[in-house]
Amino acid sequence: MASVSLAAAGPVIPDYSAQSSSCVVHNHLFCTDWISHNFSPILWPALRQHILLALAAVAIGFAISMALALAAHRYRRLERPTILVTTFLYTIPSLALFELLVAPVGPNVFSAEIALVSYTLLILFRNILTGLRAVPAEVLDAAEGMGMSRRQALWRVELPLALPAIVAGLRIAVVTIIALATIVYTIYDAGLGVPIHTALGEGPFKTELIAAGGLAILLALLSDALLVGVQRLLTPWARTRAS
Amino acid sequence: MTGRRMGRRSNVMVSATAALALALAVGLAACGSSSSSSSSSSTSSSTAAGGSSSTPGAGKPPITLGDKNFAEENILGALYAQALEAKGFKVTLKDNVGSSEIIYKALSTGRIDMYPEYTGVLLSAVAEQKTNPTSAEAAAQEAKTFLEKHGSTLLDTTPFYDSDALATLPSFATKNNLKSIADLKPLGKKAMLGGAPEFATRQEGVLGLKSEYGVDLTFKPIAIELAYKALESGQVDVQDVFTTDAQLLGGKFKVLEDPKHVFGFQNVAPVVKQSVLAAEGPAFAETLNKVSALLTIQAIQQMNKAVSIDKQSAATVAKQFLAANGLG
Amino acid sequence: MHEFIEAFKFIAHNGAVAGRPGLPTLTHLALETLRVGAIGVAISIVIAVPIGVWLGHVHRGSFVAINLGNIGRALPSLAVLAIGDAFLGLGLTVVELALVILAVPPIITNSYLAVDGVDRDLVDAAKGMGMSEGEILRRVELPLAVPLIFAGIRTAAVFVVSTTTIASLAGFSGSLGDVIANETSYHFSGVLGAAICVAALALAVEGALTLVQRALTPRGLLLAEPRRGRVRVADAMPA
Repeated sequence: MASVSLAAAGPVIPDYSAQSSSCVVHNHLFCTDWISHNFSPILWPALRQHILLALAAVAIGFAISMALALAAHRYRRLERPTILVTTFLYTIPSLALFELLVAPVGPNVFSAEIALVSYTLLILFRNILTGLRAVPAEVLDAAEGMGMSRRQALWRVELPLALPAIVAGLRIAVVTIIALATIVYTIYDAGLGVPIHTALGEGPFKTELIAAGGLAILLALLSDALLVGVQRLLTPWARTRAS
Repeated sequence: MTGRRMGRRSNVMVSATAALALALAVGLAACGSSSSSSSSSSTSSSTAAGGSSSTPGAGKPPITLGDKNFAEENILGALYAQALEAKGFKVTLKDNVGSSEIIYKALSTGRIDMYPEYTGVLLSAVAEQKTNPTSAEAAAQEAKTFLEKHGSTLLDTTPFYDSDALATLPSFATKNNLKSIADLKPLGKKAMLGGAPEFATRQEGVLGLKSEYGVDLTFKPIAIELAYKALESGQVDVQDVFTTDAQLLGGKFKVLEDPKHVFGFQNVAPVVKQSVLAAEGPAFAETLNKVSALLTIQAIQQMNKAVSIDKQSAATVAKQFLAANGLG
Repeated sequence: MHEFIEAFKFIAHNGAVAGRPGLPTLTHLALETLRVGAIGVAISIVIAVPIGVWLGHVHRGSFVAINLGNIGRALPSLAVLAIGDAFLGLGLTVVELALVILAVPPIITNSYLAVDGVDRDLVDAAKGMGMSEGEILRRVELPLAVPLIFAGIRTAAVFVVSTTTIASLAGFSGSLGDVIANETSYHFSGVLGAAICVAALALAVEGALTLVQRALTPRGLLLAEPRRGRVRVADAMPA
């Protein structure tokens, strides 16, 4: 039972060292026991947040880029200004862009997403447009000859033919955004940057650094492989000319 | 100004900004909040099973407790949150809200209802007070006065304080007969003093050492995470450290006394909105004060060690501490 | 907007913060950023251009050259710095190593594509004229490849500016990132001011190198219709 004069007697300090692992205490390169204890409370939530951040950014970025590319495909003069603006956004270093957004938007998930989305635009826009433009004029003539409307030709001929280029763009965008999302933690407490940050502040704690950094890299490589698979499924005709 | 307690790691590498993050973003925390709230809810159920405590907090309005972005604050946040939960209060814990300026903004805009703060930091960073208090009690009183002008208040302070301190190897201290910082004076430029780069330009640093003690050693910038290594390897003779560092456990290093309080007063107390305090009833402050009273320097050093060196989670460490002291 | 006004004041004061004497000036930090970055780019060029050019010349290793670019992009700067820190401890060496790891792939990829893409007919014609392999490389392939190689270097340079600032998050001091990573000392106005400077620096580097690239491009290539239908290897931003 807790006594009232507890403070005067001094606190009871549990023996924490009994539960510590010597690998962790000596900060060896990689402590599997730490990983097994901390995967679900620390690494998994960070990984899940990381995936969500990246997915949302690429999805929104893709929608915007697709709209811009279709517009620029139709009205050529839109291309240069779009490239100019997206290149501008793309060139701003991530650490700076996140901070620049904090002032007007606040240090929140919106700032994070706006920055991430803005990095997808150049890549996706350029690749979608390149893909659309690469459709040979004869093919379009043939589509027209078959009585397709402009819209039908777009959906049934141009976009399918542009698919390899579009997926190639998506691959680059996804991998880039997964890498960039590690910086999100500087303005919003989410993603694999969080455990990297914690680990850097603690010594650095090597196991956590390697685990969290490794997860970010692995996630990028796996997503890339996944998209290659998707591309093969969607465009069996292009199997021989992977990007 | 001591920047450290505003976010210790931010000096090393990050960003108070990191934190800037959560401060205002808490509402959106689809991602961020799940881990902390799940950990706190699990503890509340386990303590309920313990059954020893009454639950004066039952039915009171839920509150949100924030903490800053370094280990010690995470521990403090977990301790206060879990102790309240054990009494039936409904608490959401928001870890890593941000630096002092940011977390205080989160408090004043109502995004959080309370957070643990260092008195000296509150005075310098939030109140932007230029004069230094003369005692720990004065620091707490001045902080409280400032807060009460702005709709909040300060509860009881902890016995421990986390300020800068100068440490040496015991052998060096014995050889030079060092007890207090004043004893360093005769060493002069021969002795090497290590510290984070900004230590050289702070009043709570090289400048204060010179003006208050006449101590003028050769300064060598040392990254915070290398502080103890620098001492051990003999790179420096005296090193700027923090009083609550886990490394100070076990007598491998000696901390010099600071009778003139160059390093200020950095005891911790919960900063709470007055409206919240009124709504939650007397048991609320009582519970928090009981926790604070337990936090001696040894207690916080041990908990810092468990989190920073043994890499246990702040929630687990806090839970065990509260359980051992009848507050869990 | 208030924050931006304060940020521009911070820039106007060259990074001085009231009550904190002895902080480095923004000019100093900007120059340091460029210096650290330039070393990384220089090392990367020395390593990557010969490899890429050689692979392109022999038309081999397209898989490696192109996928190297993808892998490079998959490496988050912070993770690379962090892992380097775990193995070797953070210092200029680890930062430069990270810069090189991140800057080499785009240069190799672009150098490869540049030389590999030189019109085979031209090369055959040069062979027909009796040029040796070395002469073909020096007098035909390289001059035509220079603009695209340089585009890779430009991409790498922008990467490097970004990564150099990120190194501050990992605890390496000596770049504009120091300010962004230290809100405690600089307040948010300083962080924002430094962010503006970092953005301006990256844009300036990009702009300057674009001009150089143009100057290096043979006139004939400038006039030529850009090739269609080929998915360009997009530049990538490191994180």
